[in-house]
Amino acid sequence: MEKKNFAKSEYYTNRELSWLLFNERILEEARDKGNPLFERLKFLSITSSNLDEFFMVRVASLKDMVNAEYDKRDIAGMTPAEQLAVINKATHNFVSLQYSTYNRSLLPSLKEEKLCIIKCHEELNEEQKKFVDSFFMDNVYPVVTPMAVDSSRPFPLIRNKSLNIGALLSKKENTVELDFATVQVPAVIPRIVPLPDGANGEKKVILLEEVIERNIQKLFLSYDVICAHPYRVMRNADLSIDEDEAEDLLKEIERKLKKRQWGEAIRLEVEDTIDKRLLKILKKELRIREEDIFKIPGPLDLTFLMKMYGMERFEALKYPKYKPQPVPELSEERNIFAQIRKGDVLLHHPYQTFDPVVEFVKQAARDGDVLAIKQTLYRVSGNSPIIAALAQAAENGKQVSVLVELKARFDEENNIGWAKMLEKAGCHVIYGLVGLKTHSKITLVVRKEEDGIRRYVHLGTGNYNDATAKVYTDMGLLTCSERIGADATAVFNMLSGYSEPKSWNCLSLAPIWLRDKFVSLIARERDNAKLGKKAHIIAKMNSLCDKGIIEALYEAASAGVKIELIVRGICCLKVGIPDVSDNITVRSLVGNFLEHSRIYYFHNNGNEEIYMSSADWMSRNLDQRVEILFPVEDERLKEEVKHILRIQLSDTLKARVLKTDGSYERVDKQGKVLLCAQEYFCQEAVKRTQEHKEIKHSRVFIPAGNEPRENE
Amino acid sequence: MKKVIFAAIYIRSYETGMKIFELSARNGMKELNHVINHLELGKDAFTKEKIGQEMVDNLCKTLNDFKGFMKEYGVDEYRVCATSALREVKNTRILLDHIRVRTGFQVEILSNSEHRFIGYKSVASKWENFGEVIKKGTAIVDVGGGSIQVSLFDKDSLITTQNIKLGSLRIRETLAALENRSNHYGQYIEELINTELYHFKKFYLKDRNVKNVIVSGEFITNLLAETGSSTINSSVSAEEYKKIYDKISNLTPEAAADKLGVSQENARLILPFAIIYKRFMEIMEAETIWAPNRDLADGIAFDYAQQKQIIKSEHNFEDDIIASAKNMARRYMAGKNHINNMEGLAVQLFDATKKLHGLGKREQLLLRIAVILCDCGKYISIAKSAECAYHIIMATEIIGLSHKEREKVAYIVKFKNGEFEYYEELVSHSNIGVDDYLVIAKLTGMLRLIEALDYSNKQKCKSTRFVMKDKTLYIMIESNDDIALEKEKIAERADFVQEILGIIPVVKQKKSI
Repeated sequence: MEKKNFAKSEYYTNRELSWLLFNERILEEARDKGNPLFERLKFLSITSSNLDEFFMVRVASLKDMVNAEYDKRDIAGMTPAEQLAVINKATHNFVSLQYSTYNRSLLPSLKEEKLCIIKCHEELNEEQKKFVDSFFMDNVYPVVTPMAVDSSRPFPLIRNKSLNIGALLSKKENTVELDFATVQVPAVIPRIVPLPDGANGEKKVILLEEVIERNIQKLFLSYDVICAHPYRVMRNADLSIDEDEAEDLLKEIERKLKKRQWGEAIRLEVEDTIDKRLLKILKKELRIREEDIFKIPGPLDLTFLMKMYGMERFEALKYPKYKPQPVPELSEERNIFAQIRKGDVLLHHPYQTFDPVVEFVKQAARDGDVLAIKQTLYRVSGNSPIIAALAQAAENGKQVSVLVELKARFDEENNIGWAKMLEKAGCHVIYGLVGLKTHSKITLVVRKEEDGIRRYVHLGTGNYNDATAKVYTDMGLLTCSERIGADATAVFNMLSGYSEPKSWNCLSLAPIWLRDKFVSLIARERDNAKLGKKAHIIAKMNSLCDKGIIEALYEAASAGVKIELIVRGICCLKVGIPDVSDNITVRSLVGNFLEHSRIYYFHNNGNEEIYMSSADWMSRNLDQRVEILFPVEDERLKEEVKHILRIQLSDTLKARVLKTDGSYERVDKQGKVLLCAQEYFCQEAVKRTQEHKEIKHSRVFIPAGNEPRENE
Repeated sequence: MKKVIFAAIYIRSYETGMKIFELSARNGMKELNHVINHLELGKDAFTKEKIGQEMVDNLCKTLNDFKGFMKEYGVDEYRVCATSALREVKNTRILLDHIRVRTGFQVEILSNSEHRFIGYKSVASKWENFGEVIKKGTAIVDVGGGSIQVSLFDKDSLITTQNIKLGSLRIRETLAALENRSNHYGQYIEELINTELYHFKKFYLKDRNVKNVIVSGEFITNLLAETGSSTINSSVSAEEYKKIYDKISNLTPEAAADKLGVSQENARLILPFAIIYKRFMEIMEAETIWAPNRDLADGIAFDYAQQKQIIKSEHNFEDDIIASAKNMARRYMAGKNHINNMEGLAVQLFDATKKLHGLGKREQLLLRIAVILCDCGKYISIAKSAECAYHIIMATEIIGLSHKEREKVAYIVKFKNGEFEYYEELVSHSNIGVDDYLVIAKLTGMLRLIEALDYSNKQKCKSTRFVMKDKTLYIMIESNDDIALEKEKIAERADFVQEILGIIPVVKQKKSI
């Protein structure tokens, strides 16, 4: 049989366009009247911050390619210039949709709920005007730095992502010549300025930039202000550090951080009513092209809506706050190591609390029998209890080794601080690996017990971040399996710069072995399908865009393997291509929590194998990062993971299904049970906790039986 | 249950590594961690005869890191051993001092025979197939970075062991200039090996029938795994090995490393190793190649566990040492009966006088070996047999004996025949320490006495008992022969024995008729 070519570019979707579709799915949630109003604000805010990151990283990198005249085609056969063109069109449309959502749907609904955002300062009444003017003089005036531009003062550097007000000034005696002036809206003052409540208790607010605009004359006393409008610049932010040249990685990143704010401008947002003369100056000074200017019919930078979400008095307009439930197998008061020895423990966040992971490190720090703790840290929360526990452990005389990944995007400053603190406490800190990002999440605790050395390992799909663990769905495994323990030791040997082990027991590591492992797992299903056996793959991840993996999936699907994919974000795979991917389904879950776990299921002719990983099926995960794939071996836990996958595959409320034309549509609910997977898991976790409590608190004596025993 | 966490650190020519074990009677040797730094000390050592500062820095950093790893497992005991890379350089002592000052580690330099014995021990004792395999003619080929050790077995016992100064790294460094320039690199390696093997074959192999080759060295497990046999301790036929070899030898080093699943940093060592294995199989016309997958670290840990009696060995290694000493004696045409008789007497004498000399089991073994080898010098020159014996012993490896132990044996044999030297004389031309000297002196005294007991070489004093009373050693000889000569010799040597051992030998003959 002739070997089919699965590599044709028409079989693939461009990853940027697929990402934009993902952001649209979030925007749909903001538009969905079925969601509580304040949750919709949050979703809209997320689309806005997502888009910012997209520009800073993806668009910027495409622009770099165009500038460098690099014209290699992507997975879908598009050159960087072609991609930029479609992205530009799509993002302009997207922004219009964002603001129509804001203006036409959210603002009126807020007003109905007695929350009024006053759009511009001209709409203020006398009392409110007096209030904002005094607010300006008391709070704003002392911290703003107005900057005018003239022959002696050059155009100032406008900070990346900062919100600014540009103004045209004329000297009092000279009305012909206009000078440009700018003032940054101070980030230290909350952007939402509450006004005195209106009649019938209506809450009113105005945005800080409007307050400044109204009072801008006070900043330029010797001038007349002709006009003033807000604007915002986005700059290239992708750090590409040349590690071969950087003697000390840490210093290099610190240096790059300061430089990052002054990258090339790639997007300019202005109010749609901006004065043409003002825009012309901005355009020239920022060297920005016409198509990169976004004229915005509303407030710039919608991320302030996240702050609005936090406003009090509106709890009824939000989802009831969910409290992560305790893990039934683990009780807080007891020794966590003893509990792990009873059997592997699966953790499902945020339905179940992240506390056991923190507790794992905390108890290890205090436990007299623990000799060593080793951990990889990627993104840590502010005031991380894990960091504190690690430092404590070092002070208690344990050997503590921590790999702190400095290259975690946008988190460098944060990470350097922790790293230094840990070093001071006596931990052995490794600052990442040259050329590789360490993305794996693994913790190893070595304990000296009566019957010998025992190793406890936590492996996870998400970061050691107790804050994000409340909103990201992730899975974790606590185990003292010898095979995993030995592999974990080898992982840390490698991370400390020592040679790879002669062989692995059950972990697979990127960038060396993981790709081959995935390809061989997929190929095994393909071969089984060819032999007429049942073959089935279920994979859940954040993004799917690695060509090699997709090719393998196409090949498997065309051989008859049933493939069900749950991909939250980017998906470069196309469904429904005859004889290529008509056995593949793709669904995306976008809900209140951010889907983040990576689960891989292979039927393996009935001998099911289930893995979890820190890695997506993305080239960067497989080739440029240290990632770990770990098996779930305990039969009980395997059933649990299968249950989780089944529920996610049955979601009818928050799932969207990828169609043959590349669009996503909500599931056809006809004849199906209405089910929201995230909701289901919340309820299930609560129920399990209650059941567990009932068993624990049952104080009724249970008679042994009704029949008297013969021998008594 | 007694459990010891033990770290075995080894400094080899092509890598420095550490294995941490949990040693216990119940679970044997449980490996907890194996850390390897691919540090090619041999690169400096074999070409420049010195190790450069950069390498030393790197080595010290690695050893300091190891200290951290040791703490992670609460290591109780450890041993740091170095092989040829540190042994063969001119600045060994200075290096060791540097290492001690900068890391706190006291590195032991293993002599080749200690190194090989340790390796051999781990294979022989922890490898379940060993007993079975050596029933047929077997050779153990232990390939390192600096040299190769070949040990031949005949009917369960080790008969000879030879060191060939051609290790994988040494070969690569010797031929470094040709590696990238020539398409016949593999061929040059073969030629280089052939030259050395020629003599080995001629003198030691002769027409021994070697069926099995047990290979101990890098990549062998990976190579054998290529045939599809997945079990550890696996074996393949010579033909199968040849097939794998042909596949590998046509690949670039990088591709070969990928194929074998070996780390890329080791890529350029694969071919030298693979060729060495192949050539040995060919020259011995072996049928099967075995890979027990044990390394130096396993050996060091096993050695420790055995000494501390945590783990008992099924194989008796003293027998190996004795067997190879006897094989050597045979080579130099010593009288078998004479030797066996004296050996038995020596053990008795040693045990009877234990309270006075205070020596241990190991010294008893040395005495036995000295007895076995006491006449080997005569093969070359009867007149100068003392001197010749000394040189023969010093030049022949006895697997299982350290260099120092062998030197002791050589002196004991020398002093038996020749003039005894007092410590002050001896140190003028030797670096023997006081303690070692005293062992030499005491064992010399015993050996002289024993030799006197069979001076006529007729085993007249077969049934003899030694009885100590105060300072007097009664030598009770049951014999109907005329033992006047023996008595005379004992009387002649009594002063010396008294001076050294503080005992007065008195012969009592008992005739049974």
